[in-house]
Amino acid sequence: MDDLAQSVLVQWRVNGVLHELDVLPGLSLLDVLREQLNLTGTHMGCMTGHCGACTVMIDGRIAKSCIAQAATLPRAEIRTIEGLMGPDGRLSPVQQAFWDEAGFQCGYCAPGMLFSAIELLAETPDPTDAEIDSALAGSLCRCTGYQSLRRAVRAAARALKDPNPD
Amino acid sequence: MADRDPGMSAAPATGGYVGRAVRTLEGRAPIAGAARYSSDFSFPGQLHAAIVRSPHARARILKVDLSGARKVAGVVLAMDGREVAAHLGPIPHYIDPATFGGKSAEVRTMAVDHVWCYGQPVAVVVAADRRTARWAASRVQVAYEVEPAVLTVEDAIAPDAPKVVPGFDDNVIMAVPFRNGDPDAAFARADHVVTTTVRIHRFSTQPIETRCYNAVWEEETESLTLYGTAQNPHPLRHVLAKVLGMPEGRIRVHAPAIGGAFGMKMHGHPEESLVCLLAKLLRRPVKWVESREECLLIGAREQVHHLELALSKEGDLLALRDRFFANTGAPSACPGWGMAFLTGLTMPGPYRVRDIDVTMTALVTNKPSWNAARGYGKEATALALELALDEAARRLGFDPAELRIRNFVPADAFPYASPTGLQYDSGDYAGAVRKAMAAIGWDEWRARQAEGPREGRYLGLGIAYELTPEGGALPGTMVAGYDSSTVRVAPDGSVRVLTGVTTPGTGNPTGIAQIVADELGCPIEWISVVQGDTTTCPYGFGNYSGRSTIVGGGSAALAARAVRAQMEAVAAAMLGVGVQALRLSDGVFDGGDGRSLAFADVAWAAYTRAYDVASCITPPLEAQATFRPPNIRHSPDAEGRINPYPSYSNAAYATVVEVDSATGQVKLLAFAAAHDCGRVINPLLVEGQACGAIAFGLGGALMEEIRFDAGGHQLTRSFMDYVMPRAEDMPGVTLVHHDSPNPDTYMGLKGAGEAGVGGSAAAVVNAVNDALRPFGVAIHDLPLSPARVWAAIHGRSGAAGGAA
Repeated sequence: MDDLAQSVLVQWRVNGVLHELDVLPGLSLLDVLREQLNLTGTHMGCMTGHCGACTVMIDGRIAKSCIAQAATLPRAEIRTIEGLMGPDGRLSPVQQAFWDEAGFQCGYCAPGMLFSAIELLAETPDPTDAEIDSALAGSLCRCTGYQSLRRAVRAAARALKDPNPD
Repeated sequence: MADRDPGMSAAPATGGYVGRAVRTLEGRAPIAGAARYSSDFSFPGQLHAAIVRSPHARARILKVDLSGARKVAGVVLAMDGREVAAHLGPIPHYIDPATFGGKSAEVRTMAVDHVWCYGQPVAVVVAADRRTARWAASRVQVAYEVEPAVLTVEDAIAPDAPKVVPGFDDNVIMAVPFRNGDPDAAFARADHVVTTTVRIHRFSTQPIETRCYNAVWEEETESLTLYGTAQNPHPLRHVLAKVLGMPEGRIRVHAPAIGGAFGMKMHGHPEESLVCLLAKLLRRPVKWVESREECLLIGAREQVHHLELALSKEGDLLALRDRFFANTGAPSACPGWGMAFLTGLTMPGPYRVRDIDVTMTALVTNKPSWNAARGYGKEATALALELALDEAARRLGFDPAELRIRNFVPADAFPYASPTGLQYDSGDYAGAVRKAMAAIGWDEWRARQAEGPREGRYLGLGIAYELTPEGGALPGTMVAGYDSSTVRVAPDGSVRVLTGVTTPGTGNPTGIAQIVADELGCPIEWISVVQGDTTTCPYGFGNYSGRSTIVGGGSAALAARAVRAQMEAVAAAMLGVGVQALRLSDGVFDGGDGRSLAFADVAWAAYTRAYDVASCITPPLEAQATFRPPNIRHSPDAEGRINPYPSYSNAAYATVVEVDSATGQVKLLAFAAAHDCGRVINPLLVEGQACGAIAFGLGGALMEEIRFDAGGHQLTRSFMDYVMPRAEDMPGVTLVHHDSPNPDTYMGLKGAGEAGVGGSAAAVVNAVNDALRPFGVAIHDLPLSPARVWAAIHGRSGAAGGAA
């Protein structure tokens, strides 16, 4: 049913790498990331924008890629969870805090929780618990009961303020 | 009963990792976006399946017309239920009701001629990509003759009820009495009898990763590999072999990272064998990814309890009567229905009452089927008992905590034989209640409550207890009590643990690595844990019933001890000292005479000097061991009762809520739990399990519900309708441990994975009812949605005004 002639050419910089892609109308950004770019760290959970497992950053703002139409993004700067690591392959401070604090169990919700924390801490370096809850509320976690996620965000805030505690 | 190994409860020879909040690479992969879940796998020539499902609860299938789907470009195959049934046998039951005296329905992969629930698979379409498959599925035309549906418990037990399963004489798949002592006499002499009807609704586990199966057919060897969301790879392989008519040895099941399971990814689902058949017929890989709407079809937990408590005027619980009914939906090969059996078996929970008269009736209806859900029926025991006890306290003027403490099995009574035949290993229930109350600041909250409501917002305090048998084993089923692990040390000293237990993402591989590191005396970084693959791992039963660290960790410890003994023999020979003189820690063998050997050098010698210093061992450095908890008892006692559980986790839950009388909204202000899971291997991971279960309980008590219209059409079809707790809904949880070690498991472990759903839900309900006391009402119909709470406050229907 899909006709390549209807496809739209998009230019995206994904995790720093430029891609020119033919994307079909009707495809979500999630589908294109997973199926055309093989970036499977972004996950499908609900396809209605409720769970947050598909979260990415589009032009510096977090977005749910399952409800973003790929063809409506002719040019975009996109960051996925695979793009959070440092160039030396090390975890970023926010990732490190989530690891240290066992922020996740199964980790399927990681894209939403990590990007929500990153966006929150960029704007609010010293968040209250209510601000952390509000920032994480766009994503669902079924494993942790959110306690370890909150603690991870607090630890990440400390790490970003004081990168060398020693 | 198997023999108890006295060394099993001993601490490992080298300490260091057990008990600490250790992190391993297993926990790092998802954070880096590097974990690979089932749907992340694709193979050359990959095809995708989409399933056509019944829009009716009960109907005759008159005609399935696949021609519209077959015309769609990219479609390679379309089949209806009748065609599929020509290739596939019935799906063996995970737990066959007939094994326990119940009725066994034949469960087919897809509906043939007759539909018995909304959402039942009717046809399947395979295409080059997922969107084409779904589009083509929408072009399948099915003609139905709709029949009246059986939806509720009341529908199902009506004398003239239609039969959900053609050929059954009623809609009961199993009815079991759990009776002990002389309950009738106890009721006759009681000062008080308090009756309560508790209605537990249908709610579900809904892991964020839905199910996915991807089958690959290897023509060269006529063998099949299924990559998928499977909690139990080896038992699933057995089921696939039966359904497909293939030898087990030609099937491999590989479960990669799993994005939460909670019982839903235990098998018996039709899609498992269906994708295998499609791959075999097409000689190409076929993948199916469940949509959220499909995932929401899988139900659990719906029960109605009619409870009667007999009490003395001092508050002694003299007898318990409970007539309860479970609405298990349409028959399924999944193990969900068994939850109802466990609800009855776990009565009367932590209470010492001996005279009980409980009857469980598991019913089939035309709702979609259940699957196992965290708690596995034990959550319903806690909900029923704890709501009824609070009702008794309210009516008779007892303090809820004192009433419980008065009636608990005392701490000096263990091991304790329950009136249903269970053998509780250990516990201190009263101590846990006091700890939970202290942790939440119970008296301070009571004082605040006494100050009266503020701006129409009423405080309520709730307490509840949950006893959670974990690590279960049911005779004649693939629910086994034991499991096995292999420990290998390579010539470079690196360690590989292969185990039959699996992880749904809970962190048990980290716990197993901690245990093996301590048993081998090596750094944990040298250890990798392999799970979820029938080709590489020892035969095992996977993940369920909070078993994975008890039997996975226990068997890995035994295997590690055997390998350590091999290495110690070699090291002693290399140093020319006695084995007793050796000290091993942090990867170094210390000879006690100033000389030492690196772990890796000993490993190298074990492989390369088999006719010299290693002649004292049989290479390679590898051992497999099984841990079979000795206190499971399947030989029936004089009353025909068995003890299917080795471990009895338990916990007290306390919470404070605020009810807004203007809106019916419930807000949780504080939550505390005092938790006994035996020895804690990793406090971070145990806290994660406990808090996750509490979130399940909170969601179940207040918001999560799967609803149907009067015709049996499911109304809850996305996360728009199925509302689950988010960060803002969860209060901070104060978790305190109140551990009593299990004498029959490795280092005193009890399960930590299942406990808490029912106890926390009951604490929330009890707290809301405490807040509603000024209005003279109490609600025992779940969930406590704002509408239901508002209606209770304002005198509308929906509340069980104290009595039922």
